Amino acid sequence: MLNAQSLTKKVSTAAGELIILDEVSLQLQAGDSLAITGASGSGKSTLLGILAGLDEPTSGKISLHQHELTELGEEGRAKVRAAHVGFVFQSFQLLPGLTALENVMMPLELHGIDNAKGKAEFFLTRVGLNKRLDHYPQQLSGGEQQRVAIARAFASEPDVLFADEPTGNLDSATGAHVIELLFELNREQGTTLILVTHEQRLAQHCQQRISLEAGKVVERVCEQGVALSEVG
Amino acid sequence: MLALKLLWRNWRAGEVKILASALILAVAVVSCISIFTDRLEQALISQSHTFLGADRVIRSSQPIQDKWRLLAADYDMKTATTTQFASMVFRDDRMHLASVKAVSRGYPLLGQLKVSDVPFATDAELIKVAQGVPASGEVWADSRLLPLLGLKIGDQFTVGEKSLTLTRVIIDEPDRGSNFSAYGARVMMNEEDLAATQVIQPGSRIRYQWLLAADESVLESFLSQLEPQLSPHERIVDVESAQQGLAKTLDTAQKFLLLSAMIGVLLAGVAIAIAARRFAQRHVDQVALLKSLGASSGKVRKIYAVQLLVLGAIAAILGLAIGQGLQTLIASALASVFPVELSPASWSAYIPGLVTGVVCLLCFVAPPLWHLPVVPPIKILRRELEIGGVAFYWQATLGVLAMIVLVAIFSRDLWLSASIVGAMLVLMVLTALFAALLLRLGSQVGRKVGSVWRLALASLNRNAQQSVIQMMVFGLAIMLLLTLTSLRTTLIEDWQLQLPPETPNHFLLNVSPAEKDDVIELMQSQGLTSQYLFPMVRARLTHINGVEPSEEVKQRAEMLRREANLSWSESLNDDNKIIEGKWWDQWREPGVHGISVEAEAAQDLGVGLGDDLRFSVGGLMLEARIASIRTLKWDSMNPNFYFLMSPGALDDFSPTYLTSVFLSPENKIFVNRLLEQFPTIVVIEMDRVIAQIQSIVAQVSVGIELMLWLVLLGGFMVMWAAVSATMDERKQETALLRALGSPRKRLLGSLLIEFSLLGGLAGVMAVIGAEVLLLSIQYWVLDMPLQLHVALWVWGTLGAMVLIGALGVFSCRRVVTTPPGLILREVG
Repeated sequence: MLNAQSLTKKVSTAAGELIILDEVSLQLQAGDSLAITGASGSGKSTLLGILAGLDEPTSGKISLHQHELTELGEEGRAKVRAAHVGFVFQSFQLLPGLTALENVMMPLELHGIDNAKGKAEFFLTRVGLNKRLDHYPQQLSGGEQQRVAIARAFASEPDVLFADEPTGNLDSATGAHVIELLFELNREQGTTLILVTHEQRLAQHCQQRISLEAGKVVERVCEQGVALSEVG
Repeated sequence: MLALKLLWRNWRAGEVKILASALILAVAVVSCISIFTDRLEQALISQSHTFLGADRVIRSSQPIQDKWRLLAADYDMKTATTTQFASMVFRDDRMHLASVKAVSRGYPLLGQLKVSDVPFATDAELIKVAQGVPASGEVWADSRLLPLLGLKIGDQFTVGEKSLTLTRVIIDEPDRGSNFSAYGARVMMNEEDLAATQVIQPGSRIRYQWLLAADESVLESFLSQLEPQLSPHERIVDVESAQQGLAKTLDTAQKFLLLSAMIGVLLAGVAIAIAARRFAQRHVDQVALLKSLGASSGKVRKIYAVQLLVLGAIAAILGLAIGQGLQTLIASALASVFPVELSPASWSAYIPGLVTGVVCLLCFVAPPLWHLPVVPPIKILRRELEIGGVAFYWQATLGVLAMIVLVAIFSRDLWLSASIVGAMLVLMVLTALFAALLLRLGSQVGRKVGSVWRLALASLNRNAQQSVIQMMVFGLAIMLLLTLTSLRTTLIEDWQLQLPPETPNHFLLNVSPAEKDDVIELMQSQGLTSQYLFPMVRARLTHINGVEPSEEVKQRAEMLRREANLSWSESLNDDNKIIEGKWWDQWREPGVHGISVEAEAAQDLGVGLGDDLRFSVGGLMLEARIASIRTLKWDSMNPNFYFLMSPGALDDFSPTYLTSVFLSPENKIFVNRLLEQFPTIVVIEMDRVIAQIQSIVAQVSVGIELMLWLVLLGGFMVMWAAVSATMDERKQETALLRALGSPRKRLLGSLLIEFSLLGGLAGVMAVIGAEVLLLSIQYWVLDMPLQLHVALWVWGTLGAMVLIGALGVFSCRRVVTTPPGLILREVG
């Protein structure tokens, strides 16, 4: 499903070249879940962005659902994202002028999917917001906003769901509820889940976990729960 | 479809409201003015034609040649002739030197000849439009001829050798004009009776007029054939040369409207640019989200292009509709007094509004939005990523070019447009420099003042660049509004001053010295106040510096071809101004009479200070030296003279007197009484012309007021856009301060101070700019006397302070009154 080989990302700064990702490789099968952990600035979000095709690596290869992302331009990657990828963000990224229902409908409408409204209503009901369809984001609590974002992500039935700190802006009880919902839908739809988090509790839910430090994978845990130290 | 849904959702969220309103306003202002001025222009042309009684007139001292008539027949042109001369008319032992006009069938070709069966009729029911001209053997005459000759309708009187029957009185004739040469009462007869009168003899002073009417292209082709055949004694009179004082008023009004349109468009342009910039900033996240969801750049571009096009189309339709509605309102206000019906606007009048919409979209809206499709999708994860758009200077250049194009559409003068926009740019740069300097000063003061002030000054300084831009925008908007408001006041006052309510509307000529006191007494007994009685002597200018003027000068200067009126006066009328030389109280040249000459007359005669003029007054010589050159306002309706002599110069010649008086419609019958008692006095009635000008001025003023409100709306929108543009940041800052425990009152106080300071400083710069602009416009565009606007300095600054302060606090009130948590969540 997803295969990344030796991903490296460098940027030029006034102080010289900065390596954000350093030779990161990973492999995921359909339905797998992966948690990327690490301290702030360790390169987690950069890795997520590159894996999702939002950004390009300086070197390395990624194959997502038989598409060689690194050989595609932005337009090609957009097509892959449209067909296979969903997102959940730390700051929810709901459009403030749109109601909960319209926010969920938007990707469906973007891809010209029939019965966008019915589908959006179904997923909002699924995340327990059937009474909040016409509410605007600012009228919803943080947890509710993230549930709308989850409904939006799953509504387009992606093959891979990328979540960037999905509980980062939530208190622990709400966060727990959101995690539960995320994994429940993940199981129901057989989606591959890749999430970035600094919360161990959330990471524990995933079959695979990698930990980054200064752009390098310093720890990799496979589904058998065996920890492997990685060097270089 | 998605684009339309997004547009609707953006609209509902208030994100495109300012943008759309500014676009609609731009199209509405421009359409309203262009449609209205187009109709006004058409009306003016047709009105001028009515003043002529034709599309063109050939004026000659010789009868119209038959070969020309044949040529006109070839062109299938409508023609008529009039023959005018002064002649004595008699009835029994009474006589009067009348102004006789013999007309052919078809006269007038344009406009209406109004007649009545009742002398001095003012009641509309008694006045009819004449169908045709007097039949052979019949005559129509001015009402005042009836008391002069003791006539009533149906009586006969004699013109030359021919006895004619008076069948109607003339109330109004289109081509009479308002010149004083038509001294005698009008007597209109049929051309066929002319020969029988035997008044036309070799050497008689006759004015032949050949009236022509046809399509413009036919006319031009005909005239191009005719023109080479005309002698110096024949000339073509066209619309421009026939336009009256009224035309100047309407022309100034039109200029003002065009200027308003320019200012309206400039303001709308600024509002559009600010709103579009904000729209773009707010949509970066939306685009990043769309792209993360798989939208390609092409798709994003399409989504926004469709939104803009639909927005543009809606704005154009609504703008055109509002513009059309407003101009109908202005036109219907004018319709009650306008002498001619305003015809529908030509289709080309609708184009400027649409062009404005398109130019605004392309040059103000598109550039800030141009980079949206290339926003990288990673922006959704890395919010700190800077997004480079179209460089600011490119946007600014495009904006300035657009302004010039838009202004040029109206002024139809690229140079004028470039100057106006250029002047505005210079003012804006100066404003920016001044604003930066003031902010720096403010930051130093800020350290020494109380906490509310410190907070306000710190806020201004923290975002110095933004504050400077805001101050510039406020300054620009206020400057334009102040300019327009003051201009309107000056203009309307100037018009009203020209013709105040009791402007003398009747001229009394030919009052003999013996009658002078009795006339004054009669007027006083009727409760009428007369102006000064000017003595008048008719004289012919024969020599300049002892030499007879050359043929060339005679051709150029009309006063050499006819008798001129000489007068004298101790004092100078208010509407006269000495531009060279001295008035009598300072002029000393013993043994020589002095004369003051009107500037244009002096130019035509080629004379200047110190030149000697010799006049022949009934065969007697009168020498005078030019002591001063004057300008005067002919449209003031006061008695005015080309030549004014020094006191005593005309003592040896018996003068007649001239005065003017205001007669209200109820007092109009005084004319009858006066003429019965003093039959030799000539009365010239200007009341209808003056009343018409006054009421048109009043109505045009209403139109101008309406336009001013529309432009004020534009100015308000600019300020609203500028305040809204910083709202997101302000929300966050204020919510943070509130979360940290700042009391509401303190925050409101600081906001009030911040915006009032911005407004006050912008106001100071605006009044300076407005004063410069006003003086330039008065001097170069409207040709009005220069005048400083002291009051503007005070209320302009204070007004700006209060307005911006209130607008700022009003716009931010929700930020201060809503719980800070909610705001922080909203701004993310």
